[in-house]
Amino acid sequence: TAGLNLGLRVLAHLERLETQMSRSCKNLEDPPRETAESDLGTKIHKLRCLRDKLRAEVKQRQARIKASTANAEPDQTLEISEQEAVGGKEENMKAILQAYRFTGLSGKRTSRGVCVCISTAFEGNLLDSYFVDLVIQKPLRIHHHSVPVFIPLEEISAKYLQTNIQHFLFCLCEYLNAYAGRKYQADQLQRDFAAFLAGPLQRNSLCNLLSFTYKVEPQGRSFPFCARLLYKDLTTTLPTDVTITYQGTDASSTSWEEQRASHENLFFTKPLYQVFTSFARNGERLDMSLVS
Amino acid sequence: MDETVAEFIKRTILKIPMTEMMTILKAWDFLPENQLQTVNFRQRKESLVQDLVLLCESKRASLRDAALLDIIYTQFHQHQKVWDVFQMSKEPGEDVDLFDMERFKSSFEKILRRALKNVTVSFRDAEENAVWIRIAWGTQYRKPNQYKPVYVVYYSQTPYAFTSFCHLKSNTPLLSQALTVASNHHKIVKMDLRSRYLDSLKAIVFKQYNQLETKFRSDFHGGILAERKEPLRCLIKFSSPHLLEALKSLAPAGIADAPLSPLLTCIPNKGMNYFKIRDK
Repeated sequence: TAGLNLGLRVLAHLERLETQMSRSCKNLEDPPRETAESDLGTKIHKLRCLRDKLRAEVKQRQARIKASTANAEPDQTLEISEQEAVGGKEENMKAILQAYRFTGLSGKRTSRGVCVCISTAFEGNLLDSYFVDLVIQKPLRIHHHSVPVFIPLEEISAKYLQTNIQHFLFCLCEYLNAYAGRKYQADQLQRDFAAFLAGPLQRNSLCNLLSFTYKVEPQGRSFPFCARLLYKDLTTTLPTDVTITYQGTDASSTSWEEQRASHENLFFTKPLYQVFTSFARNGERLDMSLVS
Repeated sequence: MDETVAEFIKRTILKIPMTEMMTILKAWDFLPENQLQTVNFRQRKESLVQDLVLLCESKRASLRDAALLDIIYTQFHQHQKVWDVFQMSKEPGEDVDLFDMERFKSSFEKILRRALKNVTVSFRDAEENAVWIRIAWGTQYRKPNQYKPVYVVYYSQTPYAFTSFCHLKSNTPLLSQALTVASNHHKIVKMDLRSRYLDSLKAIVFKQYNQLETKFRSDFHGGILAERKEPLRCLIKFSSPHLLEALKSLAPAGIADAPLSPLLTCIPNKGMNYFKIRDK
């Protein structure tokens, strides 16, 4: 409106000048001197151009004011672009979910945004599912979730949720799948190979520290080996640190040392059930050799 | 067997309801099955307790065994205690937590013993990688009082510890320190969250929600509350195994006006259920 007022004042001034000009033209009998006339002429021309320009500007502004007063919200233009951004995010989310359906990631639309479901699996076995209910707003936030409290969800969200939702989902998938895989191995070991263990498996919530005493011959009476497995990388299902100690009382140490070392290698490279299956199979082979 | 231990075992067994006696004794696993079968469980409770205490004496039950029985009794009767919640935190950017339960237990006990010679610390592993800790406090000159212990329930690799209400507030700082250091945390604060129901507290702090879809039902015609001239004034007491969820469903069910008082709805988000309401 300030511009509008200025424009109107300039126009009024121009009109006054024009009337003055026409009056002075009428009053003057003598032809005006050339230089004076040409000076005034240019001045008039310049002022007319300025007037036309200001008129056009005034018209534009009037039109804009009419348009904005017709709509109730003054910030309509700003809101529309935000909605577009939100809509864009939704489309992006849909595309990501369609692409990742095969990696155990699926989602469904909710009134607030989207609920992502992460299905975990380990070596072809389908394990637990977890969900994350996202509210599509600025900032993007998690409304509800069923992620276990010891999974670093807050850390992962802080790093990626706002800037790269794809990476956020991928990262969370990695952590959950790895946790599910470690838990599956520990549960399976306790359940299917209990005969090889002296007592329960020592573990923790993340299943990233396992400690147990074991034997390799099912018929053996003593449990000569102690294992301590650390999984320092929470995105993997194989240990990062393996310590096998021999606590038997057998005199012949070289064969036990060889076994201990080979066990270490096995635990580093194979999932737990495979390690113990190979112990069981070796035991069978040993039996067979005794028979023949 | 120490007289005080015998008395402690006797009083603990006396607390056990007859309907739970066998279950709890089996869970204790101190008196073997075949010995339990020789006991007459149909006699008067006082006589039964006497027989059981004699059996414990013959097996030389220690304070450790007695404390374990006390933990099991409390686990079966957790609602008899009021539980507080402590929240611990770590420094940002710390290494992955390789929680070792045995190291936690020994570290926890060591810290308590270093400060207080007269203390009884007992542990019992629980499901979901949790541990129940029982602490009987003594003083520099007095032996631990076995009849006023504090319980702590800690789920490994989580920042939360649940503690039973302790009358002796003076030992809380030491307990907090032991918990924090043993579990590789740096700070500990008490939350404004308190309940008799450990499961409810767990659900709130571990944020374990079910994937529910609430529907608004608007057919609520007739009945005693409909079309009254005067408002119905009464006192309503809510009790439920899942009170917060039940309250949340009141408005969508058309029973209460929305929005519900923020005092009720802020509980899961704020992790508080303990409010002080004052007159302005």
